[in-house]
Amino acid sequence: MKAKITMTISIACIALILTLVMFTQFKTVDETDITAIETMRETELRTELASWKEKYEEVRTTIEERESKIKEYEDELLNDANTSSILENEVKESEAYLGYTSLKGQGIIVTLKDNDIYNIEYQDLLRLINELNNAGAEAISINDERIVSMSEVTMVNNRIILVNAKRISGPYTVKAIGDKKYFESALSIKGGYIDEIKAAGKDIEYVTDDNVIVPAYDDTEKRELKYAREYIESEE
Amino acid sequence: MIYIAIIIGCIIGAILGAFAPVIPYTYSSYLSIAIVAALDTVFGGIASVIKGNFDLKIFLSGFFGNSILSIALTYLGEKLNVDIYLAAIVVFVGRMFTNLGIIRRYYIDKCVKFIEKKKLEKESKSKEDEDETTETEA
Repeated sequence: MKAKITMTISIACIALILTLVMFTQFKTVDETDITAIETMRETELRTELASWKEKYEEVRTTIEERESKIKEYEDELLNDANTSSILENEVKESEAYLGYTSLKGQGIIVTLKDNDIYNIEYQDLLRLINELNNAGAEAISINDERIVSMSEVTMVNNRIILVNAKRISGPYTVKAIGDKKYFESALSIKGGYIDEIKAAGKDIEYVTDDNVIVPAYDDTEKRELKYAREYIESEE
Repeated sequence: MIYIAIIIGCIIGAILGAFAPVIPYTYSSYLSIAIVAALDTVFGGIASVIKGNFDLKIFLSGFFGNSILSIALTYLGEKLNVDIYLAAIVVFVGRMFTNLGIIRRYYIDKCVKFIEKKKLEKESKSKEDEDETTETEA
């Protein structure tokens, strides 16, 4: 009888242990994510770490490569932008220099008027332009006709003054941009231009201004270079 | 009595197992091999009961000894980088099938015997019936 009780208890215990372990195992297998770090052992984690490190290094080298490439491209882009902006500036400068843009700045406005006795002659205008250029004029216009390198100031039939092949008539307003003090002193110096004009009995007035506007040269009148060609000395 | 004990033990074990903490994945392989060893011992025990030479001491020692030994062998195999647990599984599962074969044969024999017994009973009964009818006819 005693032996039977021991056997019963023993077998019950064994059944209990077996099912307990089995269910624990079921649960473990069910819940374990093989990649979960918590359930891994140290050695596995180490190998995993090593592989990840390798991957990290790989990725980092690729990133570095890409970054250097990006930098190259950026440099190139910057250079391009620089050159284009420089070119643009150059173009603008040369256009201003050639008179293809309207300009504004401090300068002088000289007005010559025909009076009852004497008319203003084209030589007076030419001399005025000459004087102004001498005083460092950067842009000159006569009655809003811009004086450029190919501009002419001539008289036709002893009556009509032509500037840039356009007829102008008095009063003649000559605008010049430059140092207004230079202009003033250059023109009004004793025995200078104004004195001479006045001595000839002609009317002249001038105003210095901080905002003289000189219009652009009319592009439609632009003269094409038919005969002149670029000449580079080293060619011969 | 013993069957009730087994059922109670199984139920309590299942409940406890459901609330048991999850063991680390690497140790679960040891546990699984131990479970296979324990199952092998259980089937072996059932087979020995059928044979009539069941011994509780041998059963208990086999249950724990086999489990612990299989765990130890698996550990050793891991240290040696040899999959010894495969050999343990082959042995245990092979023995399990042998024991299951013994159990199956025993119960099939029992069934066959039971059916034959019933047949005999039926035949004897019908004979008796025939006898009765003959008697009434007579």
